[in-house]
Amino acid sequence: MLKHLLASAALIPLAAWADMAPAPPVVPKFVAEEAGVSSVFAGDWQYMVGGGASAFDCSGDGMPDLFTASGEGPSSLWRNESAIGGALKFSKVESGLEIDSVTGAYPLDIDNDGITDLAVMRVGENILMRGLGECRFEPANKDWGFDGGDAWSTAFAATWEKGQDWPTLAIGNYIDRKEEAFPWGSCTDNWLHRPDARAFAAPLPLTPSFCALSILFTDWNRSGTPSLRVSNDREYYKKGQEQMWEVLPGQPPRLLTPADGWARLRIWGMGIASHDLNGDTYPDYYLTSMADNKLQVLKDGAAKPAYADVAFARGVTAHRPYTGDDLRPSTGWHAQIEDVNNDGLPDIWVVKGNVDRMPDFAQADPNNLLLQGADGVFVESGDKAGVASMKIGRGGVLADFNMDGALDMAVVNRRENVELWRNEAAGGGEAIQVTLRQAGANRNAIGAWVELRAGDRTDRKEITVGGGHMSGVFGWWHFGLGQATEAEVRVIWPDGTTGAWQKVTPGFWLLERDKDATAWTPGTPAP
Amino acid sequence: MQRRGVLFGLGAALTLPALPARATASGIPAEAVVHDWYRLILELVRHTATYTPPVASRAFAYVGLSLFEALAARPETALLSLTGRVNSLPATPTAAPGLDPAAVAHGALCRAVEVFFVNTGPTGQRAMAAMKKRISDKLASGLPAPALAAGVAHGEAVFAAINDWSQSDGGAVVENMGFPMDWTLGTQPGAWKPTSLIRLQQAPLLPNWGKNRTFTMESGASATIADPTPYSEDPASQFFLEAKEVYDTTRALTDEQKIIARFWSDDPMLSPTPPGHWVTIANDLLEEEGADVERRAEVMALLGMTVADAFIACWHSKYDFDTVRPVTYIKAFIDKTWEPLLITPPFPEYPSGHSTQSGAAEVVLAHCFGADFAFVDATHEDEGFEPRPFANFRAAAEEAGISRLYGGIHFMPAIVKGLDQGRVVGAFATRLQTRKAA
Repeated sequence: MLKHLLASAALIPLAAWADMAPAPPVVPKFVAEEAGVSSVFAGDWQYMVGGGASAFDCSGDGMPDLFTASGEGPSSLWRNESAIGGALKFSKVESGLEIDSVTGAYPLDIDNDGITDLAVMRVGENILMRGLGECRFEPANKDWGFDGGDAWSTAFAATWEKGQDWPTLAIGNYIDRKEEAFPWGSCTDNWLHRPDARAFAAPLPLTPSFCALSILFTDWNRSGTPSLRVSNDREYYKKGQEQMWEVLPGQPPRLLTPADGWARLRIWGMGIASHDLNGDTYPDYYLTSMADNKLQVLKDGAAKPAYADVAFARGVTAHRPYTGDDLRPSTGWHAQIEDVNNDGLPDIWVVKGNVDRMPDFAQADPNNLLLQGADGVFVESGDKAGVASMKIGRGGVLADFNMDGALDMAVVNRRENVELWRNEAAGGGEAIQVTLRQAGANRNAIGAWVELRAGDRTDRKEITVGGGHMSGVFGWWHFGLGQATEAEVRVIWPDGTTGAWQKVTPGFWLLERDKDATAWTPGTPAP
Repeated sequence: MQRRGVLFGLGAALTLPALPARATASGIPAEAVVHDWYRLILELVRHTATYTPPVASRAFAYVGLSLFEALAARPETALLSLTGRVNSLPATPTAAPGLDPAAVAHGALCRAVEVFFVNTGPTGQRAMAAMKKRISDKLASGLPAPALAAGVAHGEAVFAAINDWSQSDGGAVVENMGFPMDWTLGTQPGAWKPTSLIRLQQAPLLPNWGKNRTFTMESGASATIADPTPYSEDPASQFFLEAKEVYDTTRALTDEQKIIARFWSDDPMLSPTPPGHWVTIANDLLEEEGADVERRAEVMALLGMTVADAFIACWHSKYDFDTVRPVTYIKAFIDKTWEPLLITPPFPEYPSGHSTQSGAAEVVLAHCFGADFAFVDATHEDEGFEPRPFANFRAAAEEAGISRLYGGIHFMPAIVKGLDQGRVVGAFATRLQTRKAA
């Protein structure tokens, strides 16, 4: 049989071989825009990590607004005033979020009142900021019984455990900032804040902790109960490694071990992005680090958390700059997996930047835009797309700020201003963006899976709060359509109930549990 | 943990009252200055990205030699300068009588750390600055300013001279974390092939390191080693049997063998590296002994130079023979599902670097402490490993060597012959006279 195939292949002219190679992915066109945002992630040693951005609607118009951390300076909230499909435009609002010592913040609706709140992580006391509407926030630690502690907080994630009205919050902490001469090995405990009625109980220490720079509640084996994936910075831990905690309702968290199938991996873990990239229905994890980054896929099925690193094979090691003269190894921070060219294939975006001025690593370290090809191999396109910033990047968000169906980009830089790019031409097709709603607790269905079927391709996205590098998106969840003009979408709700497939066309859709999908038009009040 | 705590001054001296050689006038004993800087160096080695084991060994050599020469220049010392006996080591600055040894040691070590670890990250820079300030403040509390300045200046001057000399040794510039940007793999049967899925490691580490200038022997070729077993894929061949030995051993590892493999693994950027492991042992033993500053300098100089020479000799041989790793061979010819316990290092197999440098360290430490000196190795207490007792340095070196078989990353001849090669290297160091004739 093999001989036959080879013989047949030999008859194919060379030109035909070229025709059979997958077409390169369409490169989107991004345009850098001032957009009115002035925000610098400032500060010295205690701000060498962190530097997050958040995209969520604080104004009630359905458009994502922008929060940026500024390190030792006050953080800021930027109201989105972009015209639909037009240039990006933001204006600063007095919001109550003018807080110093902020490393980043994650949006979520903690008290389930339909107004997005913000979990603000700091060098010092963390603060839960209750959303009041009209982009106003107030501290709620006292009212919600939340112990903000006094640590160097550098990671956040949230989930709604079964039976709970309020979320469980996980906070990752970094080194003991009071250790000066020998800080190595001084990683302080991460915390698990579980709800206690309409408040939070005293935090549980997640011991051992190994200087987390990204954490994510994720249902790695589709068991229905998310576990807590923790990516740790090996620069500071001793005895440490990457971690996964099993977090079962009403039980103490349990660290997965080699007996569970967990294999030791030690990297400079800085960011987690997840998506089912290989179509096996389980989330894959992109882990940023220094030099090579990792792309982990489940290798033995749902029975055990054993992962293979396929970053090399799929072209996403992103280990050194791909443009410019600086060929030293890279430093990756925030990562997000989204379909930036709307071709139906999720892509990987990585924000890069030297820790500070480390000479062994690239100083001119461009952000990556790794576009997925039809063969599953990713192609670096940051320079061609116009987003190869050489600034010292940290956090960022991909969000459709001007509501034209193409994901725009915001990057928080250390010691330099935030950068924004408008996605002028995604190039690969149109998009469907959905927001979820269910009655009762967990209004926004964190922990749900959204599946979108277009043509012969099904894309699935786990709805999470957490991960990346101190950066989060909340509200709209984006799917590129490729050449399809319509699709079917369904939701597997956090309690495991699978909704019906519903037909949708390009645009924005409210997916409300047990109801028909409802189209929403930008320019009208948020759904 | 406590035994390797930072001493910082009089408190430490009080715990060792029977040591007349200890200088306390300066506000911190010279011994504590040496101990504490070495404690920091051992951390910085881990936290400086270019510090793979060969690169780390080079730093240990120059730091130890700088300390030694700075102290040896003092007219009052019993130490004998190594100028003229270490390869091309130039004459270093002379010292006026009466310099405070703590200030001298601080001047040499502080500058050495600042220069050799200039590439470390912001936390390392912060730690270096903190250590410098704390020791400087302690010294200033007991020494007149002119005496402190004179001692520090002499230490700095000696280091500057040695650092200038170091620039021509072939190892001063390390780019791309030591991996060449372009590399052509060997095509002969049994040639090394990349073993990892890390892009940076598709070329082998530091292929020219074996050409570096050595310290105690003429060149990297001075410590010859037997040829490796001829490569063969024949199941009846010796090479196949040696691969089968790795395979069988690793499939039946005891818990103790797994601990041994991990204890000596000493991965770069996760540990003080293999040469740092031996330096940690020496630093601990010198502290336990209450050794005076000159003895510390003597041990650290000899140990640093011998592990550096061992890596040069080993790398010279590795790239001469360019042999395949067990993981490549076993997956191809024995069991494609096999995985070693440890991560296979990204460079050719024969001989074992752990073994060569451990053989060298064994000889030097036996020379300094005694062939039958029993000790406890607590290098990885912080990492959760129980301290391991050894009857002598030879036993420790042999355990370091066999750990690579348990780890599944070396064939047995690379270990046995590597230890032999290291012992030859060590003998060059121990032939150096380090003290003036009585």
